[in-house]
Amino acid sequence: MHKSRANSLVFTTLSIAYAALILFPVFWMWSYAFKSEAEMFARPTVWLFTPTFEHFGYMIENGYHHYLVNSLIVSGASTALVVIIGTPAAYAFARYRDMKFRDDLFLFVLATRMAPPVCLVIPYYLIYAKFDLLDTYLGLVIAYLTFNLSFYVWVLSSFCRDLPLELEEAARVEGYSRARAFVKVLLPLLRPGITATAVLCFIFAWNEFMYAFLLGGQNVKTLPVGIPSLITTQGVRWGEMAIIGMVGTLPVMVVVFFLQKHIVRGLTMGAVKG
Amino acid sequence: MTDITPRLGTVAAPPGAGSYHRESRWYPYALIAPTMLTLTVVALVPFLYMGWISLHEARYGQVGAFAGLENYRKLLGDPRFWNSMSVAGLFVAIAVPVEFMLGLIGALVLSQKIRFRSVLIPFLFIPSMMAPIIVGLVWKTMLAGSWGFFSYNILERFGILQGSSVFASPDLALYGLIFVDIWEWTPFMVLTFFAGMQALPANPFWAAQVDGANPVQIFFRLTLPMLAPLLVVIGLIRTIDAFKVYDTIYILTNGGPGITTESPSVLGYKYTFDFWEIGTASALAVVIWLLFFVFCNIFYQIAKRRLNVF
Repeated sequence: MHKSRANSLVFTTLSIAYAALILFPVFWMWSYAFKSEAEMFARPTVWLFTPTFEHFGYMIENGYHHYLVNSLIVSGASTALVVIIGTPAAYAFARYRDMKFRDDLFLFVLATRMAPPVCLVIPYYLIYAKFDLLDTYLGLVIAYLTFNLSFYVWVLSSFCRDLPLELEEAARVEGYSRARAFVKVLLPLLRPGITATAVLCFIFAWNEFMYAFLLGGQNVKTLPVGIPSLITTQGVRWGEMAIIGMVGTLPVMVVVFFLQKHIVRGLTMGAVKG
Repeated sequence: MTDITPRLGTVAAPPGAGSYHRESRWYPYALIAPTMLTLTVVALVPFLYMGWISLHEARYGQVGAFAGLENYRKLLGDPRFWNSMSVAGLFVAIAVPVEFMLGLIGALVLSQKIRFRSVLIPFLFIPSMMAPIIVGLVWKTMLAGSWGFFSYNILERFGILQGSSVFASPDLALYGLIFVDIWEWTPFMVLTFFAGMQALPANPFWAAQVDGANPVQIFFRLTLPMLAPLLVVIGLIRTIDAFKVYDTIYILTNGGPGITTESPSVLGYKYTFDFWEIGTASALAVVIWLLFFVFCNIFYQIAKRRLNVF
């Protein structure tokens, strides 16, 4: 009994130490948002400081709050589009497992996700230049479909597999059409899965950097793109970058707390039923 | 009498299911059509367009005359291409196994009787869920030359590196990036393996304990084999993701010093937007895509056959 208690204490200490190793660098970076330059670059390291808000002032003056709004618009719109387009497909892939070419079509969905963005960004750039889609919300929303739509279909399909078949059949016996049974009976049951997967898509869009950097422009800059813009010829604006780091990470943390059960499943593409 | 009917494994088809299928065979295709159409437009068409460009002379955004495999010949003859492949190879070969081992150990620790476990778990998600570019920013500040928290308090104090950043050193930069990747992805491995262990059936473990097996035997003979399919899937996903890493490299070294950390993604970017060699860049993208497709196919086959998850 004593031994297992001691073990538990050791393991608990280990875990907490590890969590600290994970969190400390993040919080340390956040602290730069409130430090003056002298405090940031001080040797030895300064632990205690009076917070300053000068960096926040610079952000507002230079219109960085628009970046935040842009991030919300692009991530929100692309997520909504993904849910509308992808939900029926996810259901069909899970429910009609014997349809012809199912495996090939499903593999196609996966293949579009596996491509590194740098592969697609070249043709996107050329095509967008031709159709005037560079530096538009629509352009980014479309580009984000490449990774989020396939992800959404893939993961939601694993949620769909857990749906009881009997309910749908019962609804059919009651005289519901297939489409109506899907909307009235299955969609409500799927809501937690849809929410979890959609929120993950939102985060991926929120975090995305390369497309936003190359296909955006003066009008449609998202938060991550703000980071390199603060590396200027006059020097690196660390405090302002830290603000973006903080504002960019906070919503992700909130989501993680509420959705932790679903994230493992989402990020392993449904391989773990977490 | 119905209770003698064998009811093993397969779920019996619901009554009338067959007739629904005959009723309208195209119904499932109608459901997937919007997705397929969208993916064709946003992924397949650009990809084919890129393949077409890769067969033409293309510079500065102008696509010129048909060039056959000239771009591929140029690409495969460029030492920078092979350098980028070996950078990515080294990156994957170190980062993924280390994350794997640490992930397994972490999952075993997390499976013990631990206090505050439910409080700890959400924190473990943070590195892999935050934007990779912000992960890069975090370590840019931690490892900045002379004043970075880690540089000053650890690297300088123990005489590893004086007054300079890890990312400015040609010998250390790649290992710095690998360290960041390990920091970013190990917690995720821990959580995934932990979830996998929790989902294993309890009976074999009780039986093994009754038979007097020790914890090491139980781990190697039971836990590991039962977890194998999950390990394979995660290993493949991580390999693919590590191979295409871009954001953290962009912010931390952008391929430098020199070309010591120039991964294929970074090289592709430079071909396109620095040298405007769009033809060569497209050829590179096609090569990477093919490589990924092979990976992806293996992944799918294993996952389908051994895990029955799709």
